[in-house]
Amino acid sequence: MAKSLLSIREVTKNFAEVEALQDISLEIYSGEIVGLVGSNGAGKTTLLRLMAGVYKPSSGTVVLSNGEPVVNMRHELGVVPESTGLYSRLTAWENIRYHSRMHGVKDSIAWARTEKFAQHLDMKDNLGRHTKGFSRGMKQKTALLRALAHGPNILLLDEPTAGLDITSARTVRALVRQLRDEGGTVIYSTHQLAEAQQVCDRIVIIHNGEIRADGSPQQLLDDTETESLEDAYVSLTMDQARTRKEDNARESAFTGWWRRLFTPKTPPSSQEVMESE
Amino acid sequence: MSEGSFRRVRSIAKKEVVEFTRDWRTIIAIIVIPLLMFPLLFILFPVLLESEAAELDALELSIVIQTDGLPENLADNISTSGMNYTIESLPDTTYLSEPGQDLERVRNSSTDAILRFESNDDIWGYAILHLSTSERSNEARNRILNVLNEWENSEIKERIEQGGLDVNETLDPLRWDGEISAGDVATTGEQSGMILSLFIPLVLAIWTYSSAIQPSIDMTAGERERGTLEALLCLPCTRMELLFGKWLAVATITGVGVLLQIFGLLFAIGYLASSSFIGVPQLSIASILLIVLAIMLFAIMVVAFELALAMRSHSVKEAGSILAPALMLILFPALFTQVINLDGIEGFWFAIPVVNILLALRELLMNRVITEHVIIWAVSSIVYASLAAYYASKQFSREDIVTSLS
Repeated sequence: MAKSLLSIREVTKNFAEVEALQDISLEIYSGEIVGLVGSNGAGKTTLLRLMAGVYKPSSGTVVLSNGEPVVNMRHELGVVPESTGLYSRLTAWENIRYHSRMHGVKDSIAWARTEKFAQHLDMKDNLGRHTKGFSRGMKQKTALLRALAHGPNILLLDEPTAGLDITSARTVRALVRQLRDEGGTVIYSTHQLAEAQQVCDRIVIIHNGEIRADGSPQQLLDDTETESLEDAYVSLTMDQARTRKEDNARESAFTGWWRRLFTPKTPPSSQEVMESE
Repeated sequence: MSEGSFRRVRSIAKKEVVEFTRDWRTIIAIIVIPLLMFPLLFILFPVLLESEAAELDALELSIVIQTDGLPENLADNISTSGMNYTIESLPDTTYLSEPGQDLERVRNSSTDAILRFESNDDIWGYAILHLSTSERSNEARNRILNVLNEWENSEIKERIEQGGLDVNETLDPLRWDGEISAGDVATTGEQSGMILSLFIPLVLAIWTYSSAIQPSIDMTAGERERGTLEALLCLPCTRMELLFGKWLAVATITGVGVLLQIFGLLFAIGYLASSSFIGVPQLSIASILLIVLAIMLFAIMVVAFELALAMRSHSVKEAGSILAPALMLILFPALFTQVINLDGIEGFWFAIPVVNILLALRELLMNRVITEHVIIWAVSSIVYASLAAYYASKQFSREDIVTSLS
């Protein structure tokens, strides 16, 4: 049996009065691609940020196999956030090198790894270019190279194919599978079931901050007695998704009382708008 | 700080400086403007003024003289001062300064000015009607006044001589004996320090704050807005390392800007004045070291404060709307400090934020090292800098800084 690399134990994450994640427990094993699937606002990004050590759990623990909290072992992780986070005035290689240096990896080692993966992603000729003029696909590939350059054990990808053209998305998916074949572990957040089925060995369905299902695509079909993952997903997430009001409450916990003071509690009705005119 | 921690801080600072200075607008803002601002202000501005003055001097003006009899030598002087005149009789007004019917003539610029000149036995009465909003009219008034002054002086001398008195003894009975500057026992270096103490603290305070605004925002709210901060927060560095790295970068950029501006200021003053006016200030080693300490403490406080305010903002726009008006927190104390008399100053002034460092710089540039004052400003500044750094660390530790607008 593959060894557990990352353990999420009874983790809850609250933002003020809203529970973004409720009592989540999850084991991530070596050499698998785990898909985090859920609708927008389900809690995928919050869970990924907890795994990356950006957020601290309100309760519970996120630890690596050696028992160390993930926040102390970030060099084990390679992260590609949804926004890619590239500096536009730096070249692709400078972006990669900056992160590698922060991980304490020598430039020569980072370059060797970058060159290898850049070949797969057809990015070798673009490493010396400023990322300002890059397409979304090129940015995503650069962010992926940046996450791989220091040789992480676990790769966290937040919607890595969002906004990519078909060819770029295929290239990214192929690289992810190749990494898995070479023994790497990938956590892959997406809201596209077809993509998750295509790429992931295991799918974790998150809904309203809870894990609703965890298993291989076939297991999910068997457990829900459905014939497609879409049907399986629907049957597992029958209750209504969190309302916008809850999302607003979560957001407002960050934005301060003075902002709320000047924010209308409810949008005006069309009748009110007409009357005011 | 461990070796790894130091390496990460250095990497952050280096990357920030490289990225920030790759924008040509930044180069203009941190190098060209600080370097050229004072030379342009002090050298080009006087040149412009001179050319304007020369243009006025060349003007041929036309005036009206209303008089019951103009002394001949006065008329000659007016003619040689670039003014054409026509003589009219005096109007019927209670006082010569009442415009009466001549109001519109001056207002509609039919004439540049009207000189009314009336003899009354040995005393002469006069008034000049002019339009103060017109450059020509003002110039005419000034030329008339000059001519009248000269004529009055010659009249005074003539009358003194007619009375059998010596003109010089009568007009100048008290005289300075020797060179006036020789009476000042302050050395040239001390005098230079005194002059510089009026400029440098003010420039330092305002420019340190204002030149740190742009990098502070770019490296915090800018990162947040562009979505680059999340990737950075996933790296194996602590929030304190992140803060320190960014602080170092902003302080470096600001420091370069301030140094260049001071260099530009000294160049401009040196160019304008003779070498005796501004020389190298006479400073002891203790004064120099304390000046460096004061600037460092001030920079720590200001940059940390700006980074904190910028980091708690959700966007560049929001950060700008907070940091720009906050300049008043520096500007008012800085201006206020310039008028405080340093002789016998009470110690508590050296404990007031911003004021303390600026007063300290003024004292130190005059080579005055007063132990009591040094202790007060050093301790209070360390406290304020620590508070600002603590506030900044609290802002950098917030979880919500990961959320971006992108």
